[in-house]
Amino acid sequence: MNTPPSLSRRDFIRTAGAATLSALAAGYPRQLLAEEGKLDKPKPTADSVIVLWMAGGMAHTETFDPKHYVPFEKGIAPSDFLSTFPSIDTSVDNIKFSEGLEKLARVMDRGTLIRTYTAGDLGFILHSRHQFHWHTGYAPPQTVAAPHLGAVIARTLGPLNPVMPAFINIGQRFDVGESEEVKAFTTAGFLGSEYGPFNIPFPDEAADSVRPPGGMTPARFQNRDKFYKKLLGASPISEHGSSYQKDSLVRSLDNAYRLLDSPAAKAFDLTLEPLENIRKYVPEYEPGRRFNAKQDRFGAKYEEQMIGRFGLGCLLARRLVENGARYIEVTTEYIPFLNWDTHENGHTRAAAMKRQIDSPVSQLILDLEERGLLNRTLIVLASEFSRDALIEGRPDKKVKDQVEVPDKIQDMKFYGMHRHFTDAGCVLLFGGGVKRGYLYGRTADERPCKTLEKRVVIEDLHASIYHAVGISPRLSYEIEKRPFYVTRDGKGQPMLDLFA
Amino acid sequence: MALQSKPTQVNPDCEKFKVRGSRLRVQASVLAFVFLALGFSTRAALTPEQIKSLPPPAAEKVVFARDIKPIFESSCIKCHARGRSKGGLQLDTRATLLHGGDSGPAVVPGKSQQSLLIELVSGLDPDNVMPKKGTRLTPTQVGLLRAWIDSGLQWDPKITFARPAPLNLTPHLPKQKVSLNSKINPIDQLLKPYFEKTKFKSPQVVEDHVFARRAYLDVIGLLPTTPELDAFVTQPARASASTLPVRATLVHHLLSENAPYTENWLSFWNDLLRNDYRGTGYIDGGRKQISKWLYSVLNTNLAYDQFVSRLVNPTPECEGFVKGIVWRGTVNASQSPSMQAAQNVSQIFMGVNLKCASCHDSFINDWRLVDSYGLASVYGDGALEMFLCDKPTGQKAMATFIYPELGEMDPKADRSARLKRVAEIMTGPKDGRLSRTIVNRLWARFFGRGLIEPVDDMEQVAWNQDLLDWLAEDLVANHYDLKKTIERILTSRAYQLPSVDLGETTPKDFVFRGPGIRRMSAEQFRDAIGQITEVWFAKNEISSATNQQARAALAPADPLTTALGRPNREQVLTTRASAATTLQALELTNGETLAKILHKGAANLASSSLAPDELVEQLYRQSLGRHPSAVEKSLARDLLGDPVHKEGVEDLLWAIVMLPDFQLIY
Repeated sequence: MNTPPSLSRRDFIRTAGAATLSALAAGYPRQLLAEEGKLDKPKPTADSVIVLWMAGGMAHTETFDPKHYVPFEKGIAPSDFLSTFPSIDTSVDNIKFSEGLEKLARVMDRGTLIRTYTAGDLGFILHSRHQFHWHTGYAPPQTVAAPHLGAVIARTLGPLNPVMPAFINIGQRFDVGESEEVKAFTTAGFLGSEYGPFNIPFPDEAADSVRPPGGMTPARFQNRDKFYKKLLGASPISEHGSSYQKDSLVRSLDNAYRLLDSPAAKAFDLTLEPLENIRKYVPEYEPGRRFNAKQDRFGAKYEEQMIGRFGLGCLLARRLVENGARYIEVTTEYIPFLNWDTHENGHTRAAAMKRQIDSPVSQLILDLEERGLLNRTLIVLASEFSRDALIEGRPDKKVKDQVEVPDKIQDMKFYGMHRHFTDAGCVLLFGGGVKRGYLYGRTADERPCKTLEKRVVIEDLHASIYHAVGISPRLSYEIEKRPFYVTRDGKGQPMLDLFA
Repeated sequence: MALQSKPTQVNPDCEKFKVRGSRLRVQASVLAFVFLALGFSTRAALTPEQIKSLPPPAAEKVVFARDIKPIFESSCIKCHARGRSKGGLQLDTRATLLHGGDSGPAVVPGKSQQSLLIELVSGLDPDNVMPKKGTRLTPTQVGLLRAWIDSGLQWDPKITFARPAPLNLTPHLPKQKVSLNSKINPIDQLLKPYFEKTKFKSPQVVEDHVFARRAYLDVIGLLPTTPELDAFVTQPARASASTLPVRATLVHHLLSENAPYTENWLSFWNDLLRNDYRGTGYIDGGRKQISKWLYSVLNTNLAYDQFVSRLVNPTPECEGFVKGIVWRGTVNASQSPSMQAAQNVSQIFMGVNLKCASCHDSFINDWRLVDSYGLASVYGDGALEMFLCDKPTGQKAMATFIYPELGEMDPKADRSARLKRVAEIMTGPKDGRLSRTIVNRLWARFFGRGLIEPVDDMEQVAWNQDLLDWLAEDLVANHYDLKKTIERILTSRAYQLPSVDLGETTPKDFVFRGPGIRRMSAEQFRDAIGQITEVWFAKNEISSATNQQARAALAPADPLTTALGRPNREQVLTTRASAATTLQALELTNGETLAKILHKGAANLASSSLAPDELVEQLYRQSLGRHPSAVEKSLARDLLGDPVHKEGVEDLLWAIVMLPDFQLIY
C-alpha cells in the first residue's frame, strides 16, 4: 500500500465523505418505514442540538417557575414556603425567574420556557432510572439496549462535519456513584458503538482527548501513523486482499487520525480561547484553573468549588458547534447527593448551582446568536424531574420518602427543596426554530405546584427535538425483527406550537 | 452488538396495543372494547336490506388455494390461526372453522348470507368489523368468500393454518449416514455433498502457523508463544497425509489447559448470562454475581446438561442468573424478575425470543403472551396474572414450559418442584433443542456465522440441517461434553480452510466456504497485548490461585475493553459487533489505557538490551507468529534506533497491535 505522507485537503474531504457514507449506508440495524417511503420527514429547523443537562433534579420553584417566597428563619415550617429565593423580572413580561438567574433572565426573550414537563411514573424514585427515561424515551429496564437521544441523532443524521464525532458528551465522569446506571443510557445501545458518545468528563482537559497520548509530541504522533501505514503496506496480509473486517479497521484508524489532525481538533482546546471570552462564561476563571478528578468530591461546599466546570463545558460546546458538531450534551454532572441532587442544604446548593449555570448558558446563547448559529442550533436545558420541600413523587401518586423533613426547621440545612417532585418541571429551549419570548404551560401557584395546563411528557419533548432536526417521531430501527421507535411506540407528537 | 436480524416487513399494528402511561386511563376502555369486539358477539339475523347490501357472490368458480387462502393469510390468521383463537375462533382447518367461536358457527355451508363471517367482514355493523386490525376486505374478496361458502366450503385438506410443529425441537439423527471410524471427520463427511451441490472445490488447508493462531485464540484466547509455535510447526514427519492428527493433538492439548480455557470462555458465558455486571440493581440488592461458580464449572468442564440444570434450578451460588435484575421503583410487567428469567432461559438455552410475547402475542413469531407467562409462572410465586401491554387482564397463566410437548408440569407443585421439573424437561431425552442451540452457538463462534442465523432464533432450517443435527446428537452421545464438540469442530477440515470475507452482514443466499475472518474479542486483544508486553491486570479473587496476574475476563471493564465491545451486560448478548468504529479507533489511538500499557511494556522490552533486529524478530514472532520480512525489519530498525530507544519500542508496539494481521483471526 502506498500512502501519501499527508492527505491533501481535497483527498481528505473525499475519503471522509466516503467513509461516512459507507458507514451510514451499511449501518445496521436498518431503518424501517423511512426506507419504505412511508415516513414524512419534517423540514429541519436546526442542524445541531445542545442539551444542557441539570443532573440530579432541578427544582422548578427555585429556578424558572418561582412561587411564594419566605426567607429562612428558625422555626419555619416546610409547608410555609414554596420557594427559597425571591423572584426577579425577565426580559419577557409574563415570565419571572428565581433570583440568581439574572443573566438568563435578560436573554429569555430569545427562547421558549416550558413549565410543565412531567416525568414518568416510575415508582420509588431513582435518579438514574429517570435519567435513562429522559435520555432514551423508554423506562428501564428494556429487553434491548435502548439508544440515547444523541445516538439516535448521530445514527440518523450522521456527523455534520465528517471529522467531528456526532455525539459528544461533556462533563460526566463514570467513576462516581451510580455510574453503571448512568452508563446504561449513555450509549448507542443496539444502534452500535459507532454512534455512541465521545465522552469528555472534564472540559478543561478536552484537548487531551484529541491530542496524542500523554508525553507524545505531535511530530512523533504523525510519524507513528506514517510508520503504521508503511508497515501495513509491507504486511503480507495485503495479499489476502481487502475484507470487510480489515477495511473497517484501517478506515476507523484513518478517521481517528483525521480528527486528531484536523482544524476541528483545535476546537477542543480551551486554552486557545481569549481569557476575556472565558470570563464571560466563568467570571471567576483564573488561567490555569483546573477541575479534575482529584478534587474533594464530597466536601460541604462542593458546588461552590466546582463553579466554572459546567461553564467551561458550555464554552467548549460553542467551539464544537462552530466546528460542525451534531449533538452535544453538557451536564452539571450527576453525583448522588451533589449538584442539583439537593437532599440537604437545598437553598445554598441551589444558589451555587444557579451561579454555575447563569453566566455560561446565557453567554452561549449570545455567542451563538452573534455568530449567526443560534438559528440552526437548538439548545435544550432540562432535568430528570423537579423537587419540592414536602412532596415525593406527585400529589396523586406519592411514593416512598427518601428524606426526613422536620415539622419545624431550626437548622438552615433543612431549608430547601429536598424531595423529588415529578408533576412539573422546567425546560428551556433556545434557537433552532423555536419561538422567542414564549411561555408554554402553567403550574399551580399553591402547593402542590403541579402542572395545570399543557402537560409535556418525554415522548412529545423528544418528538419536538427530533422535529427540529428533521426526524420523524415514527422513525424506527429494526432490532430482533421488531421495530424500535425513536419515540416510544412512534407515539411522540411534536409540539408544533413551540416553533416560530 | 445487536442480534443480527434479517429485513422483514414489520407489522405496524404492534404499536396499536401499546398504551401511553400518561393517557392510560383514557385508553384502557378502548383496549377493553377491542377485546370484546374480537369475539363473535351474539346477534340477530340480518334484515333483508342488509342482505341486499352485501357484495354479491363471485360469479366464477372459486378455488380455495388460489382465491381463499390468500384472504385468510392476509386478513384472518394473525388472530385466528397458528395457535391463536381470538373470540374462540380458529381457522386452522375446515372443521375448526365450522365449529366456530364463542358466538357459534362462523359459516353455514351453502348459505353465505346467513354466515356470521360474511356479516362481520362486510362491515354491516361499523362497531364490529373483521378484521379488527389492518385494512378491510374489498367487495371482491367478500364476493369470493360468499361464493366459496355458497358452493359448499371446499377446502383442500392439505392446507392448514395450524401452528406448525416447531423446528429443531426433538432429537433426530441426520439423514446422511456418518461413519465415526472413517479418517474423515464427520463434519467433513456431512459437508461433502454440500460442497458438491454448491460446486465448491475445497482448497488446501491453511498453513500450520495460521492454524495454530486460530486454534489458540479459539480455545484458550491467547496467542501461541514463540516456543509453542516453533514446537508445533517443526514437528517431525510432517508429510501432508499426517497433517490432521498433528493438529488434532494440538487441539486436544489446548482443551486440556483448563484455566486458560476457562478464562477465555468466561467472557462468552458472562455475555450470555448477564453476569459480571457492576451496575443497575445493586443499589437495592437486586443483583447477584455467579462468577465464582461459573469459573469453577468451566474449569471442571461440567457437562452442559448439568450446567443448564444448575442455572435454571439453582443453588445459592448460581442463583444470580434466574434472580435477574430487580430495579427500584415500578417496572413494566414484561420486566418482572420472573419474566426476565423466562426470557433469558428461552433465549439462551432454547433459541427462542419471548421478548415481544412478554407484552402481547408476538407479531413476529407464533409466541403468545400465555406462553411467556407460563414459563414466568414457573419462576414466580405461583400462577402469575397476565399483563397485556402492562395492563392487567385478570387472567392467570398456569406454570408450564414453553414447549409442553417436551414434558408436563404440575402447575400446583411448589416453586422448587417446578424449577426441578423445568431442569428435567430441558435436559431430558425428548429435548433436542438444548443441544442444537448450543452447538449452533459454538459453530457461529468458530466460523463467524451460525448454521442457523440469527443464533437466537432456532425455529429455522439450518443451511446444513444434517450438520446441525449430527453435532447436536454427537454432543448428547458424548454426555454433553462441550469440549468434545469443540474438538470435533476444530479438527475438521472445514475449520482449517482459508478464511473468507463474510462482510458486515451475511446475505440470505449465504454459502459456506470456510471460517469467516473474525476480529479478536476485546478480552483477547487485551490478553494478547499482555503476552507481548507482560503488562496484565492485578490478580483477582476469582482467578486460579497460581496466577499472579489476571487476564482481561477477570478484570473489570476499562475504557479500552469497553471501546472494543465488551458489553455492560444489562441485556443478554449473544453476538458481539465486530466492526471497527471511529470511537474505538480514537481510544486505540490516543486513549490513556492502551498508551499506559504500551509505555510500561516498552520499558520492559527496552530494558532487555536486545539488538534492534532481535527485538523486531521477537515481537513479530510473538505477535504475528511469523518472521518479519526484510522490508519490515528495515522499517522497524529506523523507528527503533540503535541502541533501541523506549519511544521507538512503544510506537512499534502500537503499530504492530493495530495491524489487521494482529487484530483479526484469519
